[in-house]
Amino acid sequence: MEALRIPATPATPEVNFDADAGLMTLNGESYPENAFEFFRPLLKWTEGFLQGGDQAVKVELALSYLNTSSIKSIMDFLDLLEAAHRRARPITVTWSYSQDNERALEMIEEFKEEVTLPFFILAVPV
Amino acid sequence: MKLFQLKEQMQEAGILASFAGSFSHGVLEELGTSVKKYLENAELGTSMMMDVFSVYIEAAQNVRNYAERQRARGAVSADLDSSIVAIAQVGAEFHIHSGNIVDASDLDELRAQLQRLAGLDKAGLKAAYKEQLRRERGLPVVGKGAGLGLIEMARRATKPLIYSLTPTADGKTFFSLCVVI
Repeated sequence: MEALRIPATPATPEVNFDADAGLMTLNGESYPENAFEFFRPLLKWTEGFLQGGDQAVKVELALSYLNTSSIKSIMDFLDLLEAAHRRARPITVTWSYSQDNERALEMIEEFKEEVTLPFFILAVPV
Repeated sequence: MKLFQLKEQMQEAGILASFAGSFSHGVLEELGTSVKKYLENAELGTSMMMDVFSVYIEAAQNVRNYAERQRARGAVSADLDSSIVAIAQVGAEFHIHSGNIVDASDLDELRAQLQRLAGLDKAGLKAAYKEQLRRERGLPVVGKGAGLGLIEMARRATKPLIYSLTPTADGKTFFSLCVVI
């Protein structure tokens, strides 16, 4: 499966989804004009990747700010991961944030409340 | 137009940045970036900076998305250009203002939403947020109301949302919202 790589812009995160490595990363901020359009190919890729196989998946997120429409799309993304987890696919999510960014931590904790898969929150020293 | 007086008024109101009329997402981003730089330089602390930035983004995207939806519904361009967004610093507070003409058919729902939010405490707002998130999940366009964005602003605000509905000369209604951080 071909990797999905998108460079960051001020309003969209860097995307690096690598099936061979079993690693999916999102890095940056997200508040595009149309979050649904931006995330659609990411969700499609994720769905395809999680459909078959039993390869372990590492999801590494470093998203520091999401507007509400991006939050909806990330929730959809976590729903796909959660569904695969329930089908016994080994998945771990690690979401890192800058230690001084309390709002980011609150946002991440609220996402964590919505899922049961292994979800780690990592504070990065300033 | 008395531009100097307008400038003086804006200064008196503590307005750091504002734009009015029809604006692109590029403008919205550009202004957001410069506001963020200003807040960083003012050394406010990350939480306050994030709150101001987040409310600004939600407010600006709400008026912009509403204008886009109204355009699709065939609204006249004068109404679409009625949008205004402003960020003001008042003492130790930041006030994020946004306003636009709201179609008569959307007023009841908007009023109901604002009244519902006004009655909620922090825990109630969080519950409303989660409920709305579940409802909107997987949908490209939110309902007629401001939905999740409005709840997000109420959650970040340090005081209840301040709003008014003002009749315009041509029988329409101008909605203005002020969020205090």
